[in-house]
Amino acid sequence: MSHNRLHRWRKIANILPKAALLYALLALLVIVMLGPYLYIFASSFKETYTLISIPPRLLPEQFVWDNYTYILGELPFNTWFINTILVAVLVTIGTVLIDALAAYAFAKKQFWGRDLLFGLMLATIMIPGALLLIPTFLITNQLGLLNSYGGLIIPALANVLGVFLLRQFMQTLPVELEHAARIDGCSEFGVFWRIIMPLSMPALATLSIVVFTAQWNNLVWPLVVINNKSLYTLPLGLALLRSEFQVNYGITSAAAFLSVVPLIVVFVFLQRYFLEGLTVGAMKG
Amino acid sequence: MTSASMPSIQSRGQQRSFWQRSAVRRNLTAYLFILPFVVLFAVFNIGPFFWALWLSLLRGDLVAPVKPFVGLQNYGSLTTDAITLQVFKNSIQYTVSVVPITVCTGLALAFLIGNKLVRFKDFFRAVVFFPLLASAAATAQIWSYILAPRYGVLTYLLGLVGFPEIYWLSDPNIALYGILLVEWWRGIGFHIILFLAAMLGVPEELHEAARIDGATAWQVAIRVTIPLMRPVILFSVVMGTIWAFQLFDTVFVLTNGGPVHSTATIVWYIYNHAFRYGQVGMAAAMGVVLLLIIMPISFVQMRVLGER
Repeated sequence: MSHNRLHRWRKIANILPKAALLYALLALLVIVMLGPYLYIFASSFKETYTLISIPPRLLPEQFVWDNYTYILGELPFNTWFINTILVAVLVTIGTVLIDALAAYAFAKKQFWGRDLLFGLMLATIMIPGALLLIPTFLITNQLGLLNSYGGLIIPALANVLGVFLLRQFMQTLPVELEHAARIDGCSEFGVFWRIIMPLSMPALATLSIVVFTAQWNNLVWPLVVINNKSLYTLPLGLALLRSEFQVNYGITSAAAFLSVVPLIVVFVFLQRYFLEGLTVGAMKG
Repeated sequence: MTSASMPSIQSRGQQRSFWQRSAVRRNLTAYLFILPFVVLFAVFNIGPFFWALWLSLLRGDLVAPVKPFVGLQNYGSLTTDAITLQVFKNSIQYTVSVVPITVCTGLALAFLIGNKLVRFKDFFRAVVFFPLLASAAATAQIWSYILAPRYGVLTYLLGLVGFPEIYWLSDPNIALYGILLVEWWRGIGFHIILFLAAMLGVPEELHEAARIDGATAWQVAIRVTIPLMRPVILFSVVMGTIWAFQLFDTVFVLTNGGPVHSTATIVWYIYNHAFRYGQVGMAAAMGVVLLLIIMPISFVQMRVLGER
C-alpha cells in the first residue's frame, strides 16, 4: 500500500518539472498571442505624451477618452462601421443564398453540362485574386458601380468555395426526404427551401462565418473601388488612417481595437463554426 | 437515361412522353437553381480571367483606354525592369523564409498544446485563433506601434536583453523580416490548429506501442506522429506558399513597399502599376506571372484536398 503511494509520488515528482516548463511556455504563448491586443487596448486610453514616452509604458498614466472621442467625432468612424456591417451582412446573405441554390442543383440534380461547369469552377480556385483585380475593376466601372455599395457587394457574391462546401454537405442528405416532400405536393423550390436548407444549417453557418469574416476584413477590393470617404469600410479607413496620423498611435489603437471587437464577440459565441471554417477559408487562393 | 441525351429529346419535338417532358422540366429547374450563380461567376470570374490575359498583351491605363497591342512585350519588360527583379527577389526571399519558419514553429507549438500533460486545450486553441480575427489593416496598425523605433514596446523589451535598436520597418535590410514577424503573428494560429487536429487524431495505441518498444518522446514525435501528419503538413506548406506569394495588405499599410522597394511584393506591384502608375499592361502581365507561380502549387493543394 505505502509502496504504491510512494511510487505515485515519485511519478508526480518526475512529471512536475516537465509540466511546469510546459505551462511556462504556454503562458508565454498566451502573452505573445493576446499581448498585442491588450497593449493597444490600454494604449487607446493613453494621452499623446504617454504614447511616445521612453521607456514605453504599458498602462496609461492618465485614463483619457480623447482617442475615442476623436475617432467617433472627427472621423466618420461610425459611418465606416455601419458600412462594414451593411456590406458584410448583405454579402453573407447573398452569397449563402446564391451558393445554396447552385449547390443544391449540383448535389441533387442531373443536368447537361454539370460536370463541365463544375470542373471549370474547380479550375478557377487557383486563379490569384490579384490577377482578376484589374478586369473586375473595369467591369464594375462599366456597370456604373464604382463608389457605391453595389460595387462593394455584387462582385463579391459569386463564391465558388461556398458552392463546393454546401454541395459536399447536401450530397450527404438522404434523397428519401425530398421524395417524401414531393409526394406531399411540395414544389421544387419548396423542397429546397423547406427541406434542404433547414437540414444544411451547420454548413450554412460555417459558410456564413467564413464569408462574413473575409468581408469584414477585406482591404484590397474597397481600396480600388471606393474613394469616397463616406463609403469607406473599416479596413480601408484603418489602412488610410496611417498616412494621416503617422504618429498618433492612440487614434490608430482605438480604431484598430474597435474594428476587431465585433468579430471577437461573434467568435466567443460561434467558435465551433470559426474552427470548422478555417480550412474552407484557407482554400480561397 | 442521362442528361447527356437532352438535345435528342428536344429534337423529337412533339413525340415526348410524360417521363421525357418531366426530365426536361427537371433540367430546367436545375438551370434556374444555378442561374444566379452562373451569371455572377461568368461576369466576375471567367470574364475577368480572359480579360486579364488579354490586358497583359496591351499597353494602356485605366482611364484612357488607348490600348495598342504589344504582344509579349510586357513580359519582356518584366524580366529586364530593375523594380520587377527586386519584386521577384523579395517575394522569393520572403516565401522561403516565412514558410519553413511558420510550419516549424506551428508544429512545435502544436506539440506544446497537444502534450498529454496540458489541460484546457480548447482554451489555448481559442487563444491562438485570436490573431486570425483581426483584419490585416488592424493588425498592421497594432504592430506599427509595437515595432516603432525608440518608443516601441518590442524595441524596448529587446533592449532589456541587450539587443541593439532594430529599425524593423525602416531599415531596408530588415523591413521584409519586420513584415514577416507581423504576418507570422497573424497566421500562425491557422497552422497550429490544423496540426493540433491532425495530431490529436493519431491513435493513442500507436504512441503506446512505440513507447513500449523503448522509443523516447522525441523519437515518437519524429518517427510516428509527424509521418502520420504528412498530408496536413503538406497542406500547410502549400497554403503558406500561396499566401506568401500573394502578400499585400500588411505591406501596403506598414511600409507601402519601402524603404527603397525592399518590401515591394508581386501584388503590391500589380496594385500600384494598375491603380497608381496607370500601367495596366505591366500589372496584368505580372498577374499572369503570379498565376503561373500559383498554378503548380494549387495542383498540389487540390491533390491534398482530394485525398482527404
